[in-house]
Amino acid sequence: MVLFALAIVPFIIALRKQSEARGWLLVGLGNLLLILTLLLPAIAGQQLVNNPGDFFEESVRASDPRVLPSAALALGLLGSYFVLFAGLRDLEREGVSDFARSVATWGGGVIIVLLLLNGTFDVYSIMIEFYSTGELLGQKFTEHLAFVAISLVVGTVVGIGLGLWASRDDRIAPVILYTVGIIQTIPSLALFGVLLVPLAALGSQEFLPTLYFFLASLGVAAVVVVLYVLVADRLQSQLRTALLIVSAIATAVPLALLTGVLVSVLFRVSIIAFTSGDYGNLVSTLVTLFLVGVALWAVARWLLRDESRAEKYTTYASWLAYASAFVTLIVLFVQAGDSSSYLGRVDSISTMTMRDLGVRGIGVTPALVALTLYSLLPLVRNTYAGLNNVDNAIIDSGRGMGMTPSQRFFQIELPIALPVIMAGIRNAGVALVGIGTVATVIGAGGLGDFVIQGIVNTSVDQILLGALPAIALALVLDAGLRGIESLLTSPGIKQVQS
Amino acid sequence: MIEFKDVVKEFPDGFRAIKELSFEVRQGEICVLIGPSGCGKTTSMRMVNRLLSITSGKILVDGRDNREMKIEELRRKIGYAIQQIGLFPHFTVYDNIAVVPRLLGWEEDRIYKRANMLLELVGLDPDVNRDKYPRQLSGGQQQRVGVARALGADPPIMLMDEPFGAIDPITREVLQEEFLQIQKEISKTIIFVTHDIDEAIKMGDRICLLRDGKLEQLDTPDTILAHPKNRFVRDFVGSDRQLKRLGLVRVRELMTSDTPTVRFEDKAEEALDMIRKLDVRSAFVVDSDGHLKGWVDREALEQNPSSLTEAMHEGDYQEIGVRESQTAREALSAMVARGFRITPVVDERGRVKGSITLRSLQELSEEGWAESRPGAVAQ
Repeated sequence: MVLFALAIVPFIIALRKQSEARGWLLVGLGNLLLILTLLLPAIAGQQLVNNPGDFFEESVRASDPRVLPSAALALGLLGSYFVLFAGLRDLEREGVSDFARSVATWGGGVIIVLLLLNGTFDVYSIMIEFYSTGELLGQKFTEHLAFVAISLVVGTVVGIGLGLWASRDDRIAPVILYTVGIIQTIPSLALFGVLLVPLAALGSQEFLPTLYFFLASLGVAAVVVVLYVLVADRLQSQLRTALLIVSAIATAVPLALLTGVLVSVLFRVSIIAFTSGDYGNLVSTLVTLFLVGVALWAVARWLLRDESRAEKYTTYASWLAYASAFVTLIVLFVQAGDSSSYLGRVDSISTMTMRDLGVRGIGVTPALVALTLYSLLPLVRNTYAGLNNVDNAIIDSGRGMGMTPSQRFFQIELPIALPVIMAGIRNAGVALVGIGTVATVIGAGGLGDFVIQGIVNTSVDQILLGALPAIALALVLDAGLRGIESLLTSPGIKQVQS
Repeated sequence: MIEFKDVVKEFPDGFRAIKELSFEVRQGEICVLIGPSGCGKTTSMRMVNRLLSITSGKILVDGRDNREMKIEELRRKIGYAIQQIGLFPHFTVYDNIAVVPRLLGWEEDRIYKRANMLLELVGLDPDVNRDKYPRQLSGGQQQRVGVARALGADPPIMLMDEPFGAIDPITREVLQEEFLQIQKEISKTIIFVTHDIDEAIKMGDRICLLRDGKLEQLDTPDTILAHPKNRFVRDFVGSDRQLKRLGLVRVRELMTSDTPTVRFEDKAEEALDMIRKLDVRSAFVVDSDGHLKGWVDREALEQNPSSLTEAMHEGDYQEIGVRESQTAREALSAMVARGFRITPVVDERGRVKGSITLRSLQELSEEGWAESRPGAVAQ
């Protein structure tokens, strides 16, 4: 009854002239509706649970009383948000500060979270489900977070690398853009299936021969690239293209596999670190990665010291690729030599198989590889677009004033393209949180476990238990990345607030 | 000093943009590269700081082959300003000016002083503009910052590629004037690329006219206008080249001090006597302090008007007078507009300082006055 009365009020308020006051009224009302929609059924439910005798015969009393959210609840929430957003629009038009508006937006949410912590909503079925799963939810959430974060980080590195390459080389750009576009069109379930076969096959390989194969093909690629650079100007354009394709394939195949290995190692290490609280391994791995990265960067810089040659390569990206490939190998060796790491369980490198490194057809590896691949499209496309849209005159000025290629890249191109690239990372991140739930079908774990269970048991609560944290994670990730973006973007190129 | 020696530029597609170009840009002069589209003016300029490579021949910068120097070091000592300006949008005005000094590792203190000095030099208030971003500035202001940025580390040489090309005509005039003033103070060796012959005449100490990658003529603006070497040069500078030459002379150089004037306080008869004595057809009317009030025709006075005021045409000094610093071309324009054969030269407060006659302008065009003109750059 109270809710109904409140529902009429917005119409009355809406008749008033637009003003800051109307905005605040609507916002307040929206938040109030939001809280009441959740609170009133909970109170009513609590009454039921506490005094079941008042409502039910003794015989029908349930052993595990719970309140099932109904469609009405969902509509109530939707309605409150309509009111809330109408108010926010008013406030925005009236030029209320960002801070005040975010307080208005999240105020109701914060109160709800407080009530949640207070146990007021414990009577809801989903909360009962939550208590019964206990620790498991936290663990699954950590898993989910870990594989979204890792594939996002790896995808960002690879995606930005590929986008960079595409923006530097007009011939390769369509190849890269089409490839990542096609990957995106493969249904996620199918991609998991497709990866199962090669990864399982790779997993059964012995480590050392595989390693030699990697090194050999990287060597071939390196030779081809060097050849290409030396003779590129004197070659027919067809031959040039052919050489480029050969080196791309020779690099891409082992690189893709290595990326898979790298991410699964990282995943293992971080899961161990998060669950056992022993961060030593994670830190040592990251430090190794960083140091090796710096060393490789120095080598790449030395190789690219002459600008005319650097422009001939046009492929910072290929160096990036080599860098990450070698980093992987070195990390593997470090891990293998460290008896305290999980690899220490293997007796010696010579008898080790790829499976010992975590390369398997099912489980986390294919999930990470698939998620990384999915993250590529927005990342590559946005990096490419962002860098390509940097005004040529600006780059020309930078050159004319005597900036080195790396100074131009890091001081000019990257900062200007940053908002667009960050938008790509946000898109990828939010999409990964969602697609990540599908990874459960190949035994990768994560919040998808609850969703699948819920579907099997036809239990809406279990589905929600998986879905709501995923939604929350996506929102927090988006907001967090927006915050970082805002901090990193110069006020000189920020979009003007309309 | 910049010296081109048999420079050839061939692009990868086989196009020869520059064919054995040799010329020299002298210390402290503005050398304007000009020519029709595709003549190689921008290409030549971009080879100086090696934004383009040289196919054969060499370019000496301060006597050294520019390929001997490290490419970044070479560029850091050559100021670079382009038509599109190319300010870094994510940097403040200050950071934009500080780019090259920072690349050279200057102390922040020194950069700060230098940036403030440069902003003042280009006519922008440092305190107001230092922390603005380029998008908060107008096109003209942006180009001022562009020039300040090119001067950032006080380079001895500057390359300017149509720096005022994308700016509205009025602001362009102002910026050109200001830049000439600045150049008087800083005396850089400048290569200035433009496709606008008027700009070339105005800005250049010497003009280097190119066609199809070859040098057609390299001379002072006046020589190019007075003695074009061939048909191409004559066509390029335009059929109004004599008129353009007038643009090179200041009123100051042509004015005479004997100006026919009558006094505002005089009676009509006294004025007529004066005009008869001077034997002129009209005279300017000035008050006792020498301020220009208008002019009066002899015919009007001969009709026995009751007073001088009745016969005279009143005119504001800003309308009918010209200033000493204006060009002869502007004086001619003023005469044509008013139908005068003589026009008064006034100072900033409207006092008559002398006059300039149509006859003197005509004589200019007929004679080879320029060669004997004091201050003209010798061949």
